[in-house]
Amino acid sequence: MGENLFTGIAAWMRTALLDIGTPPLLSEFIVLLVKLLAVIIFVSLNVLWLVYMERKVCAYIQCRIGPNRVGPKGLLQTVADVLKLLGKEIIVPRRVDKIVYLAAPLLVFVPPMMAFAVIPWGNGMAPVEMNIGIFYVLAVASLSTLIFWMGGWSSYNKYSLVGGMRVVAQMVSYELPLVLALLGVVMLAGTLNINDIVNAQRQVWFVFAQPLAFLIYLTAGISEVNRVPFDLVEGESEIIAGPYTEYSGMAYAMYMLAEYANMMVVACMATIMFLGGWLAPFGWTFLPSWFWFFIKVYALIFLFMWIRWTYPRIRVDQLMGFGWKVLVPLSLANIFVTGVGMYVYRAIGW
Amino acid sequence: MRTQTYILNMGPQHPSTHGVFRIILELDGEVVVKAKAVPGYLHRGIEKLAELRTYPQVIPYTDRMDYLASMLMNWGYVAAVEKLMGIEVPERAEYIRVIVGELSRIASHLVAVGTYSVDIGGFTGFLYCFRDRERVLDLLEMVSGSRMTFSYFRIGGVADDLPPEFFPTLDKFLHDLPSLCDEYDGLITGNEIFQARTKFVGIIPPDVAVNYGLTGPNLRASGVLYDLRKVRPYSVYDRFDFEVPLGKNGDCFDRFAIRIKEIRQSARIIRQAVDGLPEGPIMAKVPRVIKPPKGEAYAEIESSKGVFGCYVVSDGSTQPYRVHFRRPSFINLGYLEKLLEGWKIADVIAILGSLDIVLGEVDC
Amino acid sequence: MFGQGLLKGLAITWKELFTRKVTVQYPEERLPLPARFHGRFELDVDKCIACGLCASACPNKVIQMERAKVGKRQYLTKYVMRIEYCMFCGFCVEACNKDALRFTHIINMNQYFRDKVRLVLVDRPAPEVIPEEEPAEAPEGRAAKPKAGAAGKGKAPEGEG
Repeated sequence: MGENLFTGIAAWMRTALLDIGTPPLLSEFIVLLVKLLAVIIFVSLNVLWLVYMERKVCAYIQCRIGPNRVGPKGLLQTVADVLKLLGKEIIVPRRVDKIVYLAAPLLVFVPPMMAFAVIPWGNGMAPVEMNIGIFYVLAVASLSTLIFWMGGWSSYNKYSLVGGMRVVAQMVSYELPLVLALLGVVMLAGTLNINDIVNAQRQVWFVFAQPLAFLIYLTAGISEVNRVPFDLVEGESEIIAGPYTEYSGMAYAMYMLAEYANMMVVACMATIMFLGGWLAPFGWTFLPSWFWFFIKVYALIFLFMWIRWTYPRIRVDQLMGFGWKVLVPLSLANIFVTGVGMYVYRAIGW
Repeated sequence: MRTQTYILNMGPQHPSTHGVFRIILELDGEVVVKAKAVPGYLHRGIEKLAELRTYPQVIPYTDRMDYLASMLMNWGYVAAVEKLMGIEVPERAEYIRVIVGELSRIASHLVAVGTYSVDIGGFTGFLYCFRDRERVLDLLEMVSGSRMTFSYFRIGGVADDLPPEFFPTLDKFLHDLPSLCDEYDGLITGNEIFQARTKFVGIIPPDVAVNYGLTGPNLRASGVLYDLRKVRPYSVYDRFDFEVPLGKNGDCFDRFAIRIKEIRQSARIIRQAVDGLPEGPIMAKVPRVIKPPKGEAYAEIESSKGVFGCYVVSDGSTQPYRVHFRRPSFINLGYLEKLLEGWKIADVIAILGSLDIVLGEVDC
Repeated sequence: MFGQGLLKGLAITWKELFTRKVTVQYPEERLPLPARFHGRFELDVDKCIACGLCASACPNKVIQMERAKVGKRQYLTKYVMRIEYCMFCGFCVEACNKDALRFTHIINMNQYFRDKVRLVLVDRPAPEVIPEEEPAEAPEGRAAKPKAGAAGKGKAPEGEG
C-alpha cells in the first residue's frame, strides 16, 4: 500500500500525456478530468457501501444480522436494490410541477459531488487545490436545501410540503452554528485553504484545541444531513417521508443515496477540520495517508449511525430552539474565547 | 399577511396510526387547530357475528379484538358466560388463567412500549421490545398452539393444562425480564430527547380522565388508582401481592413509563401464581351443549388497555341473543380530539401512541 | 446531569452491538415447533366415525363432509376443509372424540391459486358393503385405504411445495 499510489498514478499520467506530445495545458485538463471522474465513481460506490454499512450496523445494534443473502455477506444487497429500483416506474402524480419534480432528484447529487472536488483524500490528493476550500465547501453544501425544498414543493402533497418547509427552516438555522464552529478552526489555522489547515494540525489536532467547536459541528452536521435525532425532514412516523413522499423508483433512491453522500461530506469536513485530515496519529506513518483519512471518516460515519439507531427524534420547535438558543450562542462564545486565547498567546509571545 | 388553516388527512394509511385509523387534522402551520378522529376501518361486526355462533364458538372471535392480548379478550367473554351460567371455575384453571393473562399483558405492553419508541423516532427500542415479546409468544404458543389468536380459554376453564416444558422457559424469562425492563428504561425512558418530547405533552387531568371513562394505564397515569385487579378483584387476584403503578402528571411520558412498571408487576404476579399453582382439574363440570338460562350477565376484567367488559344476553338457546363488548381502546379514544388541540403534528403521533390503541379492538 | 440518559442509551446500543444475534435464518434454520402447534390438519380415516362433531364445533363452517350410509354404519366419503376460512382455533380437534382429527407441524399451506387452498383430507367412493366379519373386511378396507391415502398424498406435496 503505497503512500504515493494515487499521486503516482496522476504523475505518471501527466508525463505519459506529455510524452505523446499533448500540450501541457490539455494534459493538465485531462488529468483533472480523470481525477474528478475517479472521485465521482469512488463516491458513488462508497455510497452503495455506506447504505450496506448502515444496514449492517443498524442490524447488529438491533440484535439482527442484516442483509446477508445477496453476494458474500450480503455485500451486493445495495447493488441489487438499486437495480430493482431502476426497474421501477417513477410515478408522477397528477398536478405536480413536473419539471421541478423530476429535476430535484437529478440535482440532488450535485452539491455533495461538488464539495468532494476539493476534499484532500490523502497527502496532496485533493482533485482541485483551492485556497478558499472551506468557503467553497460550505457554499455548495448549503445548496442541497434548495433541492430538497424543490422536491417538497413540487410534489403537490401536504406531507411533502410540511417536510419541505422543515428542510428550509432546519438547514438554514443549522448552517449558522456549523459555519461559526468552523470559524474557530479557521482562526487558529489562519487560512481557508484545506491543505494548510490539515498541515496546521501537525502538532495538535484541532479537536483538542477546539473541543466545543467539534461538538457543535457534529451536532449541526448531523442536522445538516437530516439524520436522527434531527431527521424531522423525513420524520417517517409523522410526515411519512417528508419531501420524498411522492417519489418512487430511482427518483426516491437518488434522495436516499444523496443522504449518504452528504453524510460523507460532513464526515470528511469534520476529519479535515478537527481530526487532522490525512495526518497519521502518533506518527504512525506505516499506513498511507489516504488510509488514515478513511479510517477517521468511517469512524465518524459509524458514530453518526450509532447515534441514529439509539436516539429518538426531537420536535420541530425544540429543534429550532436548540439551534438558535443553544448552538448559535455557544459557537459565538467559542469564537470569542478562541479570539481572546489567541490574543493572550500572542501577547505572552508564544 | 393573511394565513389560512389547511386540512391534513392523517390516515387511514399512515405509518404511525397503529392500524387503519384516520384523524382529520385542521392545521395552522404545524399546530393542530381541530382534530377529528374517524375510526371504523377495521369493523368486522364481531358482536353481530357472535349472535350467529354458539357460545363456545364466539371465543375465537374475541381473539380478534385486541389481538395483542387475546388471552385477556377470551377471559372477558368466558367470564361473562360463566357468570350467566353460574359456573364455578376450578382453582387450577383460575391460576392458569392468571399466568397466561399476565403473560399476555406483558406481550401487549411490550408492543405498546416498542411502538411508542418508534413513534417518537427511535427504532431500536421497537426491535428490542419485539425481540423479547417473541419469548412471551413462544411461551403462549407452547400452551395454546398459536402465537397470536390463542382461543385458549373455555367456558368453565382452559383448553389444556400447562405443558411441563413451559415452566423452565417461563422461569428463565421471568429471570431476564427485570434486566430487559432496565434496558428499555435506559434506552427509551431515560433518554433526554424522549423526555423532552413526551413530558407535559398531552396532559389528561384526573377528573377529565374519569369523566371520559378512560381506564387502564391511561387512567392510572393521571394518578387515579383504579385497577380492577386491585379495587374489585376477580378470579384469584386478591391472593397476589402486587402494586399498581401510578403516574403523576397524566402526560405522555407517564402513560408510557407506567407500562414498563406494569410489566415488572405482572412478572411478580406470574411468579406468585406459578409458585402457588394448585393441583386439580382445569375444567369445571360444564354440560356438553352450553345453553345458559334466560337472562343477562356483565363481567369485567382488567385488560392491558383498560377495563374490558362483556355483556351477554341469553334467550335460552345455544346461541347468544346479544353480545356487547366494552372495548377499552375505543373508550380511551373519546378524549383524543380535545387532547390533540394545540399540539404539533409530531405530538399528534406522540399522544395517539401513548394512548396505546389496537384498531381491532377500537373497531371491533 | 443533562446528557446522562443520552450516554446511557449509547452504552446500551454499544453493548447490544456485540451480543448474540437473535435472527433465525428461516429456510435453513428452523425453530422447533411446540407439541401443540396448530399446523395443517390430518385425519385418520380409519378412526373417523363420521360423527360430524368437528363440523358442528367449527365457528366458521370450514369443514364440509359427505357421508354415505353403508349397511348400518356411517361411511365418510368426503372430508374437505375450506382452509381459507379456517381460524386454526382448534375447536374441531378438541371436539373429536376418536382422536382422528389432529394438527400436524406442517406450516406450509400456501397455494398459488385460491381454489387450490382447500384441504381435501378424504375423497373416496363408498363401498357397496362393509362386511361385518373381520377377514372379509380386510380386502375391502385395503381397497378403500390406498385410495384415501392416494388422495391424501396427492394433495400433500402440493400443500408442502
